[in-house]
Amino acid sequence: MKSIFPKVNSGLNIVIVGGGKIGVALIEQLTAEGHDITIIDNNPSRIQTITNMYDIMGIVGNGASYGIQMEAGIESADLIIAVTGSDELNLLCCTVASQVGNCASIARVRTPDYSKEAGYLIKKLGLAMIINPELEAAKEVARIISLPTALDVTTFTHGQADLVKVKVTSSSPLDNMMVTDIAQNISNDFLIGAVERDNEIFIPSGNFTIKANDKISIVAARKDIHNTLKKLGFKMTTVKNCIIIGGGKVAYYLASQLLSAGVEVKIIEQSKKRCEQLSILLPKAVIINGDGTDAGLLDEEDLQGVDSFVPLTGIDEENIMLTLHAKHVSNAKVITKVNRLGFKDVINTLDLGSVVYPRFITAEAIIAYVRALNNSMNSNVETLYHMFNGRAEAIEFYIKEKSAVTDIPLMNLKLKDNLLICLINRNGRVFIPGGNDSFKEGDFVMLVTTHKGFGDIRDILKK
Amino acid sequence: MNTSIIRYILGHILKMEAVFMLLPCIVSIIYKEPKEGLTFLAVLIVCGLVGIFASIKKPASSTFYLKEGCVATALSWILLSIFGALPFVLTGEIPSFTDALFETVSGFTTTGATILESPESLSYCSLFWRSFTHWIGGMGVLVFLLAVVPLSGASNFNLMKAESPGPSVGKLVPKVQYTARFLYLIYVFLTVIEFIFLAAGNMSVFDALTTSFGTAGTGGFGVRNDSIMSYSPYIQWVVTVFMVLFGINFNAYYFLLIKQFKKAFKIEEVKYYIIIIGASILIITASTFTTISSLSSTFRHASFQVASIITTTGFSTADFNTWPQTAKCVLVLLMFIGACAGSTGGGIKVSRLVVLAKTVVKELNSFIHPKSIKKINVNGKPVEHEVVRAVNVYFITFMIIFSFSVLLISFEGKDSVTNFTAVAATINNIGPGLELVGPMGNFSCFNIFSKYVLIFDMLAGRLELFPLLIMFHPAIWKDVVRKKIKR
Repeated sequence: MKSIFPKVNSGLNIVIVGGGKIGVALIEQLTAEGHDITIIDNNPSRIQTITNMYDIMGIVGNGASYGIQMEAGIESADLIIAVTGSDELNLLCCTVASQVGNCASIARVRTPDYSKEAGYLIKKLGLAMIINPELEAAKEVARIISLPTALDVTTFTHGQADLVKVKVTSSSPLDNMMVTDIAQNISNDFLIGAVERDNEIFIPSGNFTIKANDKISIVAARKDIHNTLKKLGFKMTTVKNCIIIGGGKVAYYLASQLLSAGVEVKIIEQSKKRCEQLSILLPKAVIINGDGTDAGLLDEEDLQGVDSFVPLTGIDEENIMLTLHAKHVSNAKVITKVNRLGFKDVINTLDLGSVVYPRFITAEAIIAYVRALNNSMNSNVETLYHMFNGRAEAIEFYIKEKSAVTDIPLMNLKLKDNLLICLINRNGRVFIPGGNDSFKEGDFVMLVTTHKGFGDIRDILKK
Repeated sequence: MNTSIIRYILGHILKMEAVFMLLPCIVSIIYKEPKEGLTFLAVLIVCGLVGIFASIKKPASSTFYLKEGCVATALSWILLSIFGALPFVLTGEIPSFTDALFETVSGFTTTGATILESPESLSYCSLFWRSFTHWIGGMGVLVFLLAVVPLSGASNFNLMKAESPGPSVGKLVPKVQYTARFLYLIYVFLTVIEFIFLAAGNMSVFDALTTSFGTAGTGGFGVRNDSIMSYSPYIQWVVTVFMVLFGINFNAYYFLLIKQFKKAFKIEEVKYYIIIIGASILIITASTFTTISSLSSTFRHASFQVASIITTTGFSTADFNTWPQTAKCVLVLLMFIGACAGSTGGGIKVSRLVVLAKTVVKELNSFIHPKSIKKINVNGKPVEHEVVRAVNVYFITFMIIFSFSVLLISFEGKDSVTNFTAVAATINNIGPGLELVGPMGNFSCFNIFSKYVLIFDMLAGRLELFPLLIMFHPAIWKDVVRKKIKR
């Protein structure tokens, strides 16, 4: 039916199964990008609430049933995303859909049993992607722990470059420095991609002056990032031990990553049964059976002396309380996990330090995939990252073939305002491009912008 | 409450009305009616300017909830009617403002009740505007607005819900905007087909156009004094068929459009709708058949009147006021049944009655098996308790408004059949009733107070009661007043 409104209806037809928190986060992001979404959930009142809030179609029923999928128009759908609470149901949804229509499918699979076999499942079941919000959240937390001065760490170009968010202190040499002077005075290995000051986002140009208390996002090659931060006056300590509150899936994924990096891990978990499971799964970790929100217990387990502290309970309020408590009594690096997206703005004002939103991370991965699916002409969105609560985007493109932007020196391209080309990865060599450099076929290009919805590298040009 | 978004929507609505008024201006050029044409042009300019002025500033927040949707809907219908009535007053064709408002509200709500003794005395452009209001009101102005103006913000479904007839409003496609476009696409397509059929029957272009508008919106304003009576049997059959078609749930047409024929013919409501029409035609044919007239013409008149009343159109080919009691009784019952949900027709709607009837059966069963649990099914799907509750409440509210209106207009001292059918014909958006307001009579005999009561009934009926009733809820006004004081 697209033919009736060919020009306007440029979005994809997406079916989402499961209207839980992650389903809603996806709906929010994907409707904002202009796609046609149908949601399937077996709870009528939930469908009612969601369809009242967003401009989408709702269908009540079991998403894995053939009849329901047909009703949702699976035949003409481009993508199905199964994010119900059950891994098995999600996989079944995708399998059924792949038999009926010819849509791509994404399933959420989060039990460790299956997620180890993600590669096998993707291949055998013909999935486009498996998402595991818990694992992604754990990875993000682990990245921040490995670089404790950072508020936030994201990797680009297959781990060869990092985007690191830090807060400028008054003792830093960056304080009161113009962006053009940074290269000669400090180093030219890095670039400042974006600055947040008083709740406003700037993509800094040459004459922008950095001030103390700015939150800046630094882009640099992985190998240079330690040195860069050192030169900028940040203390570079390494984390040796970590206390995790709550023994859920994120805790398990995080603990196993930290342990393999040689960090001592202590997990405090309330349920005795879960503690026993964890002790089998993580023989090297110290598992403590007790209430992690009990200040006395935390004191006993030496919260004051620990390097890092990660509250991972299922309740946002508890996590935030624990963070504030830990900041008060110790100097540990604290990372807060927040599930609900609705209160992002107020949490931002609390100055909690590093905050991780698992649902946001998953939504980003899916949106990057959707943009690539919608626009896979001559470039591909490889990675998408929402900076500063979604007010700026860092995007990595893979340039598949020649187009209007390739082989022209960057200074001759008419680029949009509020956009900064941060780095190019050419055949494994990461560098910060100057005005005389140009894009070539096969490049990975990473850029930062406050514009939304870039799907193709040519979107950087002024129209 | 977000009052600025309501102002913004109202501004858009007025701009749209200004564009719609271009059509009568064109008609006035064709038929050389400079005075009327200029009046329309003047109203158009005022309407457009007010609209532009109101919508010049974009509201800070574009989110609105159900209450804003309801208030915006009710206010836009009232505003539309007031501006739409101005040309009639200014040209002097309907000098009294109340009468002009009655006529316009009757047009937009697709009622088709008139206060005119003889519509033929009106100018061509006024007649055109009068019929065109049916076409605009049939599918709804806000639905049209949603189809053409990309109102940002996700909650604009609340606007459509407030305006579209039926107990549960569904979307055809995920986006409201495209759903609205599909609806208008089907609507325009059916209207054009009817026009072609009518024009093929040697009807003049003007008559064919206005009759198509009247049928499409299930309105019922005729351009001749005797409605459709003096046209050929072929024309009468075409109008009959199209009235029935416009009374069908538009979802069925959408399913046909996407070639899901099975789904289209499985809609339970449409099945009952066709059965009711068939049965009523048989009863009326049997009761009105006399040895004087031929069976074919009796059958034709019976079919036409049944289709006209159940779809709440209100055209007529016979003075059914003179028919036997059985036939009249069937017609009055049909008035309350109304068309299908999701069509352009009014009335209580077949789907609501289906739910009500099934509830009664369920309750009866619970007397025999007091502990039995049974959900009501429609279209093979269980109906949620919320929907059943909403249907019950709708029915009760409908009855309360109905009885109060009958009481209010009975102060005039007219006979009770006139009062009863006048309210029934307006609240169900039909047009003609019985006795004084029968197909050969009109509503001019009522006094100003009764006319306003009937205007309220027409609007309440078209907007499915609650969007209009919510305007009387103190919370809505408190909100507005409080904001004013703060400033």
